[in-house]
Amino acid sequence: MKHILYGLALCIALLSSSCEEIPPVINPFDGNPVDTTVDIENQQRQVLIEEFTGVRCVQCPAGSAEIETLLAIHGERLVAVSIHAGDFAPPFPQSLVDFRTEEGEQLINFLGPPISYPSAVIDRKLFEGENDLILGRNDWAGYIAEQKAIAPRVKIALKATFNETTRKVDLEVKLYPQEDIADPDVRISVMLTESNIPDIQDTPDGKVNDYVHRHALRDMLTSYLGEAITEPLTTGTILTKNFSYTLPAGWNEEEMDAIAFVHLGGGSKEVLQAIGTHIIE
Amino acid sequence: MKLGLHTLLVYLALFGFLGPLFGQTPSGGRISGNLEANGNFFLRDTLIGAANTPQYDRQIFGSDAWLNLNYSNWGFDFSIRFDVFNNSNLLNPQGSYTDLGIGRWYIHKEVENFDFSAGYLYDQIGSGIIFRSYEQRALLIDNALVGLRVGYNFGEHLRVKAFSGLQKQQFELYKSVIAGASIEYFLLGKEGSRFTWAPGFGVVRRTLDDATMNNLVATINTYKPTDAFVPRYTAYAFSLYHTLNLGPFVWYAEGAFKTKDNMSDPLAERVTITGDTIVGKLIQAPGSVIYTSLSYANKGLGLTLEGKRTENFSFRTRPQEELNRGLINFLPPMMRVNTYRLTARYMPATQEFGELAVQADARYAISKRTSVNVNFSNITDLNGKQLYRELFTALLLKKARVWQLTTGVQFQRYNQQVYFFKPGEPLLENVTPYVDFLYRYGKRRSVRFEAQYMFTGEDSKGLGYDYGDWVFGLVEISPAAKWTFTFSDMYNIGPGKNSPSDATSGKKLSVHFPRFDIFYTHGANRFSLSYVKQVEGVVCTGGVCRIEPAFSGVKVAVNSSF
Repeated sequence: MKHILYGLALCIALLSSSCEEIPPVINPFDGNPVDTTVDIENQQRQVLIEEFTGVRCVQCPAGSAEIETLLAIHGERLVAVSIHAGDFAPPFPQSLVDFRTEEGEQLINFLGPPISYPSAVIDRKLFEGENDLILGRNDWAGYIAEQKAIAPRVKIALKATFNETTRKVDLEVKLYPQEDIADPDVRISVMLTESNIPDIQDTPDGKVNDYVHRHALRDMLTSYLGEAITEPLTTGTILTKNFSYTLPAGWNEEEMDAIAFVHLGGGSKEVLQAIGTHIIE
Repeated sequence: MKLGLHTLLVYLALFGFLGPLFGQTPSGGRISGNLEANGNFFLRDTLIGAANTPQYDRQIFGSDAWLNLNYSNWGFDFSIRFDVFNNSNLLNPQGSYTDLGIGRWYIHKEVENFDFSAGYLYDQIGSGIIFRSYEQRALLIDNALVGLRVGYNFGEHLRVKAFSGLQKQQFELYKSVIAGASIEYFLLGKEGSRFTWAPGFGVVRRTLDDATMNNLVATINTYKPTDAFVPRYTAYAFSLYHTLNLGPFVWYAEGAFKTKDNMSDPLAERVTITGDTIVGKLIQAPGSVIYTSLSYANKGLGLTLEGKRTENFSFRTRPQEELNRGLINFLPPMMRVNTYRLTARYMPATQEFGELAVQADARYAISKRTSVNVNFSNITDLNGKQLYRELFTALLLKKARVWQLTTGVQFQRYNQQVYFFKPGEPLLENVTPYVDFLYRYGKRRSVRFEAQYMFTGEDSKGLGYDYGDWVFGLVEISPAAKWTFTFSDMYNIGPGKNSPSDATSGKKLSVHFPRFDIFYTHGANRFSLSYVKQVEGVVCTGGVCRIEPAFSGVKVAVNSSF
């Protein structure tokens, strides 16, 4: 018995002796962002975050705040869209705006309904060790950093032209493959988002009438599955796609962004590159 | 680390080798197993919220199944389990999960006093407060430890075991390493003394993998310096426990401590760098749990007293994991396990970050025909805020082999803010009387009735809490040994603030949630066919809970043991 107790004490001592570890280095945010892409030649990997939210979702404002933090850090290398869809998305009777869209409801099913909120999909990628595309917010920053480290397989330039008279937006998307992309199903999706919309939102402090909604998906210029790119994507070529959309009255063009991203279809839905731009610079 | 072809080949080879030995063999080998298969046909019902999932929208059918085979011979135990999930809503009640493969295998061998197991292991230390790997299919929890366990018995009184491995996640593995050891002693009193004492001590360590740490660091780097901390790769959890049997008394006590660990506290506040105040952040803190239970049983009287204090004892394989994923340990629940439909509607999930809970249960058999049961439980957070309170009474009257009547009333207080994640919601209060009558009219023939009524209170606007008042009725007929028919209806007789509304008038609707079941049992086989409309609610197993959405459809199930 005595030997056993000695053995046990030794085991505990061995376990405890390794308590001191060399810690990782952390660099908490110092107030000096921003990680920004300037031109197509120097464009790096830009990451898409698609957040699922709803005006009745109490916890979702925390997710939206998290995205603002990430945007402050990553600048234009992070492209954000907030998709109002699912059980928490139906407007309140006193809501001014119904943020739901047909494509949003399709996307929440396509990318996988969240098991909890806040939830988001990053580059539509199934990260190693994850069961589905939907990620809790504790994982967002890490996977964004992971994605940013990848060289872009294709670069994208996005130019928006807005006609104030007709309210028509013309989008010119240019794709610059950085390698021969042989994947059988490559697609492009184009979205319009609107920010700074004051409207009611459920929050941990109750319903807030003038909550400011940001990056809300307003519509898609492609189907929710994207538009198939049938032309070969080979190194050195430049592929141009054009899209047009007339903004309905009531949408504030000053607060609107266009988003374009190239992604895979079929089994993998992974986004290869994303870009966002203001409708009016 | 997907369980790929190589694993399957190993097992095919193993069972191919054993194939000729299936069943009872001359060499003494024995094979056994069981099959559980469930199929769900999803029938959309937007009124109750059974809609807008892939199954309701396009897949219509989903299933899950487990086939388990065990073989023992030459002192070895072998086991293999094949898991199937096809458009299953078990992993994520709102989602669709499809995968299949070897969900579990293990080999166990005893060599005199030494034993070892390799593969997918279910085990626990003490009551599970610092370590428990287990399977709970209702919530699709399967956190088997994939690795090696060794044990040694020093005579009849002392056992030491140690293990190391990775935690399972469906058909993948988390990369954090979990290792632990325990030493347990067993002292038996003199013959006739009714005394035993079983103390034990355990330790578990979890070391994060680099990818998890990198992800964690990236998240902490988005925090303000005031909230940031240097995460630790390794956390240790220690536990000292014992069970003392002394005459009619049984006393269990366990104290556990966890060193500083990185955890995700869903209720902690943080100010972001953009100035928003949000709830939920990563923290680092040590944790502790103290748990004790004292039971007395003698001459028709049974008493149990339990108490538990929990502080910062979330212990997960990755701190980023949420809900029921990545759990390394199990915190014992401190409430009565209710089985009636309405008395089980509001169940409290065990709180990892702060809970002070007590429970008392008394049973007394007044005569052979009459007995009573009273149960009381109370749960607060560490600041004294009420989370849950229940008083449950039961009176049992019976005439042996003819009839049995159980009746009583349940009083509950339930914190919707905490358990339903609905900030601002008031404390829900309800009173639920119930009656259950069983009448046997022949050998293995019976009819059973249940009736329950849940009265809920009203909030300041005069709306009933949550779904308001419910009435439930059930008739269960067993006309023959093998057949059972059950019909029940749960009716929202006094709709509350969360009850469905009429689309045009906005008026709250009283909705029926009927259910019809047919069960057929033949030997070790059981089949069931059910038509189900089920309101959204909390489903718990042992204090581990999740919110389940409404269901509408047909369920078929098969259970077979061989």
